[in-house]
Amino acid sequence: MAQLRQDYPEFVKRNAEVIVVGPEGPEAFARYWEEERLPFVGLPDPEHVVLKRYGQEVNLFKLGRMPAQAIVDRDGFVRWIHYGHSMSDIPSNEELLALLDGLA
Amino acid sequence: MARVAVNTEAPDFALEDFRGQTVRLSDYRGKKHVVLVFNRGFM
Repeated sequence: MAQLRQDYPEFVKRNAEVIVVGPEGPEAFARYWEEERLPFVGLPDPEHVVLKRYGQEVNLFKLGRMPAQAIVDRDGFVRWIHYGHSMSDIPSNEELLALLDGLA
Repeated sequence: MARVAVNTEAPDFALEDFRGQTVRLSDYRGKKHVVLVFNRGFM
Protein backbone atom coordinates (compact mmCIF):
# COMPACT_ATOMS: atom_id res chain seq x y z
CA MET A 1 0.00 0.00 0.00
CA ALA A 2 2.88 2.34 0.75
CA GLN A 3 4.22 1.67 -2.74
CA LEU A 4 0.83 2.44 -4.23
CA ARG A 5 0.74 5.71 -2.31
CA GLN A 6 4.20 6.60 -3.54
CA ASP A 7 3.29 6.06 -7.20
CA TYR A 8 -0.27 7.34 -6.94
CA PRO A 9 0.53 10.53 -8.93
CA GLU A 10 1.64 8.30 -11.79
CA PHE A 11 -1.75 6.58 -11.78
CA VAL A 12 -3.51 9.93 -11.70
CA LYS A 13 -1.41 11.08 -14.65
CA ARG A 14 -2.79 8.13 -16.60
CA ASN A 15 -6.34 9.08 -15.74
CA ALA A 16 -6.77 6.12 -13.42
CA GLU A 17 -8.29 5.79 -9.97
CA VAL A 18 -7.06 3.21 -7.49
CA ILE A 19 -9.75 1.41 -5.50
CA VAL A 20 -8.77 -0.92 -2.69
CA VAL A 21 -11.37 -3.47 -1.58
CA GLY A 22 -10.76 -5.48 1.55
CA PRO A 23 -12.55 -7.69 4.07
CA GLU A 24 -11.99 -5.34 7.02
CA GLY A 25 -14.73 -3.16 8.46
CA PRO A 26 -14.98 0.64 8.08
CA GLU A 27 -13.20 1.37 11.37
CA ALA A 28 -10.13 -0.64 10.39
CA PHE A 29 -10.12 1.07 6.99
CA ALA A 30 -10.45 4.54 8.50
CA ARG A 31 -7.63 3.89 10.95
CA TYR A 32 -5.31 2.48 8.32
CA TRP A 33 -6.07 5.23 5.80
CA GLU A 34 -5.35 7.88 8.37
CA GLU A 35 -2.17 6.26 9.67
CA GLU A 36 -0.79 5.71 6.20
CA ARG A 37 -2.27 8.90 4.70
CA LEU A 38 -3.55 6.99 1.68
CA PRO A 39 -4.90 9.16 -1.13
CA PHE A 40 -6.99 6.56 -2.96
CA VAL A 41 -10.42 5.03 -2.46
CA GLY A 42 -10.84 2.41 0.29
CA LEU A 43 -13.90 0.18 0.30
CA PRO A 44 -14.63 -2.07 3.26
CA ASP A 45 -16.32 -5.26 2.10
CA PRO A 46 -16.90 -7.20 5.31
CA GLU A 47 -19.69 -9.24 3.66
CA HIS A 48 -17.25 -10.22 0.91
CA VAL A 49 -19.79 -9.27 -1.78
CA VAL A 50 -17.33 -7.81 -4.24
CA LEU A 51 -14.48 -10.04 -3.19
CA LYS A 52 -16.59 -13.08 -4.07
CA ARG A 53 -17.97 -11.60 -7.27
CA TYR A 54 -14.47 -11.08 -8.55
CA GLY A 55 -13.42 -14.51 -7.43
CA GLN A 56 -10.68 -13.58 -5.03
CA GLU A 57 -9.14 -16.85 -4.03
CA VAL A 58 -9.28 -18.12 -0.51
CA ASN A 59 -6.55 -20.55 0.29
CA LEU A 60 -7.31 -22.30 3.54
CA PHE A 61 -3.90 -23.87 3.70
CA LYS A 62 -2.20 -20.52 3.36
CA LEU A 63 -4.57 -18.99 5.88
CA GLY A 64 -6.51 -16.47 3.97
CA ARG A 65 -7.18 -14.55 0.84
CA MET A 66 -4.74 -14.26 -1.95
CA PRO A 67 -4.14 -10.83 -3.42
CA ALA A 68 -5.75 -9.96 -6.75
CA GLN A 69 -5.67 -6.93 -9.01
CA ALA A 70 -7.72 -5.90 -12.02
CA ILE A 71 -7.65 -3.06 -14.50
CA VAL A 72 -11.05 -1.85 -15.68
CA ASP A 73 -10.88 0.59 -18.56
CA ARG A 74 -12.89 3.76 -18.99
CA ASP A 75 -15.56 1.82 -20.91
CA GLY A 76 -16.11 -0.52 -17.97
CA PHE A 77 -14.34 -3.53 -19.46
CA VAL A 78 -11.88 -5.72 -17.62
CA ARG A 79 -8.61 -5.37 -19.54
CA TRP A 80 -6.37 -7.31 -17.23
CA ILE A 81 -6.74 -9.36 -14.10
CA HIS A 82 -4.24 -11.12 -11.92
CA TYR A 83 -5.05 -13.66 -9.24
CA GLY A 84 -2.15 -14.09 -6.88
CA HIS A 85 -1.06 -17.57 -5.91
CA SER A 86 0.77 -16.44 -2.82
CA MET A 87 0.81 -13.43 -0.55
CA SER A 88 3.81 -11.99 -2.34
CA ASP A 89 2.39 -12.63 -5.82
CA ILE A 90 1.59 -8.97 -6.50
CA PRO A 91 2.47 -7.19 -9.74
CA SER A 92 4.72 -4.15 -9.51
CA ASN A 93 3.43 -0.64 -10.00
CA GLU A 94 5.59 -0.45 -13.12
CA GLU A 95 3.67 -3.35 -14.58
CA LEU A 96 0.32 -1.77 -13.73
CA LEU A 97 1.39 1.60 -15.15
CA ALA A 98 2.65 -0.02 -18.35
CA LEU A 99 -0.73 -1.75 -18.74
CA LEU A 100 -2.49 1.59 -18.28
CA ASP A 101 -0.19 3.11 -20.90
CA GLY A 102 -1.34 0.39 -23.26
CA LEU A 103 -5.01 1.29 -22.97
CA ALA A 104 -6.39 3.32 -25.84
CA MET B 1 -15.08 -20.01 -7.51
CA ALA B 2 -16.31 -17.78 -10.33
CA ARG B 3 -13.68 -15.61 -11.85
CA VAL B 4 -13.87 -12.54 -13.99
CA ALA B 5 -12.71 -12.90 -17.58
CA VAL B 6 -10.61 -10.39 -19.47
CA ASN B 7 -12.32 -8.31 -22.18
CA THR B 8 -15.73 -8.73 -20.63
CA GLU B 9 -17.75 -6.07 -18.89
CA ALA B 10 -16.60 -5.66 -15.30
CA PRO B 11 -19.29 -6.70 -12.80
CA ASP B 12 -20.60 -3.48 -11.29
CA PHE B 13 -20.78 -3.07 -7.56
CA ALA B 14 -21.71 -0.46 -4.99
CA LEU B 15 -20.05 -0.26 -1.60
CA GLU B 16 -19.85 2.42 1.03
CA ASP B 17 -16.40 3.76 1.60
CA PHE B 18 -15.22 4.12 5.18
CA ARG B 19 -16.58 7.66 5.24
CA GLY B 20 -20.06 6.38 4.39
CA GLN B 21 -20.13 7.55 0.78
CA THR B 22 -21.44 5.12 -1.79
CA VAL B 23 -18.93 4.29 -4.50
CA ARG B 24 -20.03 2.48 -7.64
CA LEU B 25 -17.64 1.04 -10.14
CA SER B 26 -19.91 2.42 -12.87
CA ASP B 27 -19.37 5.94 -11.47
CA TYR B 28 -16.05 5.86 -13.29
CA ARG B 29 -17.42 4.70 -16.63
CA GLY B 30 -16.65 7.17 -19.38
CA LYS B 31 -14.36 9.06 -17.02
CA LYS B 32 -11.46 7.10 -15.63
CA HIS B 33 -9.70 3.79 -15.74
CA VAL B 34 -9.85 1.89 -12.46
CA VAL B 35 -7.18 -0.20 -10.82
CA LEU B 36 -8.98 -2.59 -8.48
CA VAL B 37 -6.86 -3.96 -5.66
CA PHE B 38 -8.19 -6.85 -3.62
CA ASN B 39 -6.29 -7.19 -0.44
CA ARG B 40 -5.97 -9.79 2.17
CA GLY B 41 -5.59 -7.31 4.93
CA PHE B 42 -3.53 -4.47 6.25
CA MET B 43 -0.18 -5.92 7.16
